[in-house]
Amino acid sequence: MTQQSAAASSATSGSGLLLQLTNPKVYVSLLALSLVLVIPLVSGSPFLIHVFVTICVFAALSTAWNIVGGYAGQLSLGHMMFYGIGAYTTALLIQHFGLTPWIGMWIGAVIAAVVAALIGYPCFRLRGPFFSLSTIAFLEVIRLLAIHFVGFTGGSAGLIVPLKLGWAWMVFSDKTNYLYIAFGLLLLTIGVSLAIRTSRLGYYLTAVREREDAALAAGISNSDVKLKAVIVSAMLTALIGAFHAMYLTFLEPATMFSLGTSIEVAMFSLIGGLGTVAGPLLGTVLVVPLAELARGWLGAQANGLHGFVYGTVLVLITLTLPAGLVGTFGPTVSRWIDRLPGGGRRPAERIAPALRKLEGAKGEPILTTKNLVMQFGGLTATDNVSITLKRGEILGIIGPNGAGKTTLFNQMSGFLIPTSGTVAVAGPNGAMVTPASPDGFARLGVGRTFQIVQPFGRLSVIENIMIGAFLRHPNVQDARAVALRVAATVGLLDQKDVEARNLPIGALKRLEVARTLASEPDILLLDEVMAGQNQSDTMRMVELIRSIRDTGVTVIAIEHNMQAIMSLSDRIVVIDNGRMIAEGDPREVVKDRKVIEAYLGEDFVDAQGF
Amino acid sequence: MDVLIQLLINGIMLGSMYAIISVGLTLIFGVVRVVNFAHGEFLMVGMYAVYLLFAKLGVHPYVAAVPVVILLFLLGVLIQRFIIQPLLDADEHIQIFATVGLSTALVNLALMVFGADLYSVSAPDLRQSLRLGPYTVLVGQVVMLAASLALVIGLHAFMQTTALGRAIRATAQNRTAALLMGVRVDRIYIISFGLGAACVGLAAALVSPLFPATPTVGTYFVLTAFVVVVLGGMRSMYGAFLGAMIIGLVDSLSAYYIAPDLKEVVYFAIFILILIFKPTGLFGFGRGTE
Amino acid sequence: MKLLLKAALAAGLAVSATAATAQVKIGALYPFSGGLALLGDESFRGLELAVEERNAAGGINGKKIEMVKGDAVDPNQAVGEARRLTSVEKVQAVFGTYSSSLSLAATQVTELAGVPYFELGAISDPITERGFKNLFRSNPTARDFAASMVDSIGEAIAPALGVSDPKTLKVAIIHEDSLYGQTVAGYQTARAKEKGINVVETLPYSAKSVDLTPVILRLKSAGADVVLQTSYQNDTVLFFRQAKEQGFKPKAVMGAGGGYSLRETAQAVGYENIEGALNVDFTQYKTNAAAAPGIADFVAKYKAKYGTDPRSGHSLANYVGAKIFFDAFASSKDMTAASIRESVMKIDLPQGSTASGWGAKFNEAGQNTRVKPFVMQWQGGELVTVFPAAAAVTKMKTGLGQN
Repeated sequence: MTQQSAAASSATSGSGLLLQLTNPKVYVSLLALSLVLVIPLVSGSPFLIHVFVTICVFAALSTAWNIVGGYAGQLSLGHMMFYGIGAYTTALLIQHFGLTPWIGMWIGAVIAAVVAALIGYPCFRLRGPFFSLSTIAFLEVIRLLAIHFVGFTGGSAGLIVPLKLGWAWMVFSDKTNYLYIAFGLLLLTIGVSLAIRTSRLGYYLTAVREREDAALAAGISNSDVKLKAVIVSAMLTALIGAFHAMYLTFLEPATMFSLGTSIEVAMFSLIGGLGTVAGPLLGTVLVVPLAELARGWLGAQANGLHGFVYGTVLVLITLTLPAGLVGTFGPTVSRWIDRLPGGGRRPAERIAPALRKLEGAKGEPILTTKNLVMQFGGLTATDNVSITLKRGEILGIIGPNGAGKTTLFNQMSGFLIPTSGTVAVAGPNGAMVTPASPDGFARLGVGRTFQIVQPFGRLSVIENIMIGAFLRHPNVQDARAVALRVAATVGLLDQKDVEARNLPIGALKRLEVARTLASEPDILLLDEVMAGQNQSDTMRMVELIRSIRDTGVTVIAIEHNMQAIMSLSDRIVVIDNGRMIAEGDPREVVKDRKVIEAYLGEDFVDAQGF
Repeated sequence: MDVLIQLLINGIMLGSMYAIISVGLTLIFGVVRVVNFAHGEFLMVGMYAVYLLFAKLGVHPYVAAVPVVILLFLLGVLIQRFIIQPLLDADEHIQIFATVGLSTALVNLALMVFGADLYSVSAPDLRQSLRLGPYTVLVGQVVMLAASLALVIGLHAFMQTTALGRAIRATAQNRTAALLMGVRVDRIYIISFGLGAACVGLAAALVSPLFPATPTVGTYFVLTAFVVVVLGGMRSMYGAFLGAMIIGLVDSLSAYYIAPDLKEVVYFAIFILILIFKPTGLFGFGRGTE
Repeated sequence: MKLLLKAALAAGLAVSATAATAQVKIGALYPFSGGLALLGDESFRGLELAVEERNAAGGINGKKIEMVKGDAVDPNQAVGEARRLTSVEKVQAVFGTYSSSLSLAATQVTELAGVPYFELGAISDPITERGFKNLFRSNPTARDFAASMVDSIGEAIAPALGVSDPKTLKVAIIHEDSLYGQTVAGYQTARAKEKGINVVETLPYSAKSVDLTPVILRLKSAGADVVLQTSYQNDTVLFFRQAKEQGFKPKAVMGAGGGYSLRETAQAVGYENIEGALNVDFTQYKTNAAAAPGIADFVAKYKAKYGTDPRSGHSLANYVGAKIFFDAFASSKDMTAASIRESVMKIDLPQGSTASGWGAKFNEAGQNTRVKPFVMQWQGGELVTVFPAAAAVTKMKTGLGQN
């Protein structure tokens, strides 16, 4: 039970190893983890050692799986393909070249990484069940090929690892050596998993899992981070596979590329808690011995009873503990542990690093669109729009509902590729460039908000803002400090630890701005950020936008709140039916006949009221 | 040439079997948007039910279709109501695991009750070969082809013309909008899942005379059925039918011309390529993998 | 706390150690649950009968044999159970295993632990090709199966068909692609080459397949006269049904046990359709008692204990093997691994002296060399031994199906 704290301990990091060891979350985790080694060693029973080797192997497999399945949210059900690749590579290298498994396993890991990249890249476009199905298909293909090419793999008859004893060959008559290696692999896997969880990559993976679009807007290349996750996971899985093959000393395609085991490994994570550091270990520690016992008790009763109970329990767990053990009991246990000596400390807050210096002269073109046309089937949503945004200005975009304003924004930020025409952004050396992807736009300094807010629901407010801050500050502590500063600026400091999904709409709008702001953009694209704000919040937002501009940021805002946009903007562009019908000084534009026509109706009245 | 035509006939017959199994999965997948890994086990349950009715009461498998369809409809309703529905808002992972768990439980339940032996419905009249010149086809296969066509056309008509069918389509397209329009979405889901399972009941009655029932008979079909559904564009009955025909033909031809043990490799490869390059399915009937 | 635990464990071990002196403790490692359970259990029954018979006759030099079951479902389980049997239960020998992959995994453990392992039913050759010292196998291997099948083409089938030169027969090898099918088919191919048999097709397929028509069409196009099939139940049924549908009538079809030996297969296919199908397997029960003394006795004992006829030849194979090894136990000096090996090596039983018709003479690798599986044939709804003549209860028929 106490291993759960490993997840919680991820929150603390930094300042001194020794200091960390006095933190109960750290020392309780370490103590609990060491039980996996101590119990079998003290008992000295080879059978218990076998059970714990199995626990270590499956916990490590599940932890490695969790990096893809939990952190990245890509439910791979074909993960045993990497395990099998590691195992077969190692065994074949021993057989043909007499290469020690200690080297062979790393070659296996590299091959697994290559396969993972080849499979992952195209498949990451698939979401949810389709990704799962394609991983199953890949697993089946590899298994069938392993069976078919008898000359290479030994086919269904399998491969036998020669019983050459000793550390060089990873085959021992003293079983405790296996336990040391298995435990070492478990530590390695958990270490990697913890390191990812507490680094920028971990936050990015969560962001991508929660909302791909918002992650793109924060400058995260979705496929890059997923690829990193799957490669790391595949390599770890292959290492474990290689070891396990040396332990079993027998490899056959049916066991090495088993769909059943792939599902089981994923299930341990689910039971323990998806996406947590300690969950997979906990799930394994709970289920493996139970399954062993159940097999002993029920296996003899009737053929199939054990499997029936297993399946039924799985269904019941999904129904009763969908968040897993860590998700359900984690917070409580974490609180208990905080009461231990040295507990409940919070890391000292760091001073935020300086804002990024924005280069370039005021008034020069920073973003231009030329003859943009966007067609959806027969509908022309953007019709020949050319806008030049000047550095340091606030440009308001207005127009009736459905005029194509957001579509225009989507093209300016790379989310939509125009049917014809170009979007260009001032690059670092002043030349105008067109990035290939939304995250490329973000990295060049185009920050955008979404009209329909896109918070990372299960992250806290401060973590949401950190996702933006990571773009310029890869270090977690720096990003956190920046996020705190931004939270203060937009008035979200009081709610910084609230999960975003629990925020009211007004606060969500501000969070949207805060996340974008934290990425320290050159250009800020604001899509109806005043909607849903009360009067005083609107005033504050107007002040905020002005102060942002004063730091050198260029702002484009789509807004229906005429009063606010008119007072804020240096320049106004009016869009109707996808066309730009007017452009110029706010006071001039509202008098434009075409504009009034376009706005006939409630918006017209609003405009008159102003 | 003779061999090729026989292989094509064979592929179409195989395709009609895949079609009749996949139609129910398409319905469940398309409407409830849950990947039902226990779908193959529904077939297995249906086949054992057909066998029991045949062996204990002497009911002809085609007559047994009626009670088995009703039984599976009820099974589907219960599963949707008590397992899937509580998880509708949960993570996709959780839903997948729930159906995987269900599948494991059902396979092992069958193992407990029936053992690992195979049970075969003896229906020599349906296994009679019809000879068309040098080519042969079984009576039962022809019936299956006709039934799968009728089922696809019938379901399509049901979806287009009846109020319930329209409500199901509306729910499939946009759950929230349907909810706002006063459609009782939960009930639609239950009915759709029930109907999807009932289709498998019909499939079981038609498949039983041709293949023996074993606890694991479903696992072979379920992966194939997923391939078919994706190929057909996820939600289209006609798409599923055509997808099934293609897989049937690929199965038959690649087993002969490439190697019998690599035929799955061929259609899994097609499956992966379709998912990656044409996620709306081969015929563009679907709305893709969004 | 930990000290206490250790003490308790030590005490427990001590108790079991003293108990072991009063009896001979053996492990019975079979798949008792999971997909292989049916024949795993059938195999175990043979061992159980042998143990009961031995205990009723006074045990091993007055010591009763005590069995401890180990349930091996997959290779990892097999390793775990083998560890448990050898370390926790401290058995003096392990018997098993029915499945070859389980046997391969489990024996790697027992060999390192120095505990003798007696394989009574797994057929994969590599089990006894690893140079293990404490591993013995009483049953024929895949190579023996393949040899029997290929040899019988020339020795039995060709004469029955009235073909003078067996090389003129077109032979096709088809097999399911798991360990069983792939191994047997591999040896068939090698043996056929040695014997100059004309193999026209070798086709692997998945046992889970729902359609073997393409396989049959290829056999038909190749004009195969003799089909050697290594298959489980489902694919055997499919093959017979679809061969009939496609009007494919080879001169002879021969299976390698598996699906061919099961009554359910014959029922599913129809007795009239499987009539004439040949089969090579562990000795079955319609065998000439002159060549297999005690076979009727075994069936009677089996029926008395379990209330049914034996479900396959596995129980008999395990029974015979266990009896041979118990005799070796009795003649060994002190039941150490070395002395057991010594007495196993001294065993010398001629062919036709056991209830399965096998003899016993072990080579250095621990493999019984006096085992040649018989050829059987489905005739009138029964699987009867037809070759070699000494074991035959009736003559071999030609043709397939009744019409």
